[in-house]
Amino acid sequence: MEITTDTTTPAGGVPPAGGTRAKPVSPHRHISRLLILPGVLLLLLLVVFPVVMEIYVSLTTWTPTTGSPWYDAYQQWTWFDNYGGGLTSSSFLTAVVRTIVMTVAATGIEFALGFGLALLFLEKFLGRQVATVLFLIPMMIVPAVSGFVFFLLLQTTGPINTILSAILPGTVEARWLTDPTLTPISVVLVDIWQWTPLMFLILLAGLMAVPEDQIQAADILGASWAQKLRHVVLPIVKPIILIALIIRGMEAFKIFDAAWLLTQGGPGEASSTISVKLYREAFQNSQWSYVAALAIVVMIFVSVAASQAIKPLERRQEESA
Amino acid sequence: MKALLTSLRVLLIAAVLCVFLFPVYWTVTMAFKPADEWTPTSGKTYWLPDHPTLDNFRRIFGGTPGGSDSFLVSTPINATDSIVTSLITSILGTLLALSVGTFAAYGISRYRAGGKMLGFSILQLRMFPPIAVIIPVLFLWTYLHLFDTHAGLILIYGAVTFPFVVWLMKSFFDEVPREISEAAIVDGCSQFGAFRKSVLPLVKGGLATTALFVFILNWSDFLIALVLSGNNVVTAPVFLSQITSAATGEEFGSRAALGVILITPPMLLSILIQKHLVRGLTFGAIKR
Repeated sequence: MEITTDTTTPAGGVPPAGGTRAKPVSPHRHISRLLILPGVLLLLLLVVFPVVMEIYVSLTTWTPTTGSPWYDAYQQWTWFDNYGGGLTSSSFLTAVVRTIVMTVAATGIEFALGFGLALLFLEKFLGRQVATVLFLIPMMIVPAVSGFVFFLLLQTTGPINTILSAILPGTVEARWLTDPTLTPISVVLVDIWQWTPLMFLILLAGLMAVPEDQIQAADILGASWAQKLRHVVLPIVKPIILIALIIRGMEAFKIFDAAWLLTQGGPGEASSTISVKLYREAFQNSQWSYVAALAIVVMIFVSVAASQAIKPLERRQEESA
Repeated sequence: MKALLTSLRVLLIAAVLCVFLFPVYWTVTMAFKPADEWTPTSGKTYWLPDHPTLDNFRRIFGGTPGGSDSFLVSTPINATDSIVTSLITSILGTLLALSVGTFAAYGISRYRAGGKMLGFSILQLRMFPPIAVIIPVLFLWTYLHLFDTHAGLILIYGAVTFPFVVWLMKSFFDEVPREISEAAIVDGCSQFGAFRKSVLPLVKGGLATTALFVFILNWSDFLIALVLSGNNVVTAPVFLSQITSAATGEEFGSRAALGVILITPPMLLSILIQKHLVRGLTFGAIKR
């Protein structure tokens, strides 16, 4: 991790928009370092040091159960065995694929629902303000509570099956929490319920920003509803859609709470996401050095993905600054 | 025709809203149901509590439920400590993230401190699955005797929400014209004085929003507290997940009651920051 201040850029940064006076550089550099110092220290203590430690432990076969402290782990040095084991472990690779599939499914469905809802909200109607506020509620529910309540709702004799039985022909007895093909869907369902509102709010903000006169111009040209959406609205909203997808995707990828509280990743490993897998290996199987290696692999993977994903976010902040 | 379309639209929105609010409705009603209405073993679903009761709330604060359902008297439950722990660690963690993050945000926004890399790496931290970062922290915490302590949780909450503060506050600082701090310096303020006296008052609203946001994030945490605390320092979400009863197996009603208590503060606070909610959840990328 890069923590040193970049000394090649002038610490005063870009000159003020309207200002012309030349500024002495040194006091700026001094104060800018002072301002970020506590933050850098916090990150050193809580990120850099643990990660270095994690890399060290990942090269050994150490676990706390061996009784020796972590710094003595070099006595059980194995080089890259844990990495080799992880990258050839079908259960880890399956968890990675499963997490990616769940992330894509959750993000995609949230986007479709959120976009549809945002279109419905675009024109004024009585109670729009109240309805918008009510839609915020799911995002504000503490995940421990949403995990618990979906555990109740998704019981085989629970209300969701009861409602489905009333709507659909026949009796629905879906085993949401024990059927290996249904459990990952249940976990995605909780994510969709909790985070579609965010997608909706972001997209609504984007759609409201589309200039009225451009829509009117398209109207005059006789554009249909679909044509307006495709050729006028979408090009303007595209950057915001991208941000919404990135933010939701990166959060969904971390999913743990719902998976753990609903099924503990089970049955077997049917709904184990990467986070659940790591948790189980560490706390149920005491495979600490193995988990350390997997965690490093995941972090490298996320870093590569993140370096691409962050660009639109950064651009957006700078543009609207 | 247009009126028909509008009413159809409103109807559709109302239907979707009902679906999305149903889990909340179920939590709240469950909290007031007596034990025999928790799980419909009889095949009957109680859409509303037939015999509403406050027993569940009494039970999570150490009381024993009265009435005919007193077969429930297994080990008493008391969630008070866990709620206090959640409050202490969330609030102090928020203050830590806020004080450290605000300075860093100002440095990055005003002086481009750390070049392009710093802001980037700070945001990247939010993208790592917490479990990948938390496990080495657990090694460190055990070593420093911070495992299962309030201080340990406060430090980690501060660190985990720090990127959030930096990016959100940066977006607020970016809106303050540079000329304002320059004018203060011309008037004889030091660089820091200009920050404190002329810039900070202008972002008061942003600061309050960020604080409430970070508090909600900390208050909602489950995984970190699950990993970094044992039996001494239990936060309310972890406590909630661990309530079980030797006599009846599952304590659905008591858990729902604690759930209602847990979801109330974020819901009330979110009304205060409703205007900035999207901005907060997109790290300042989308302003509204």
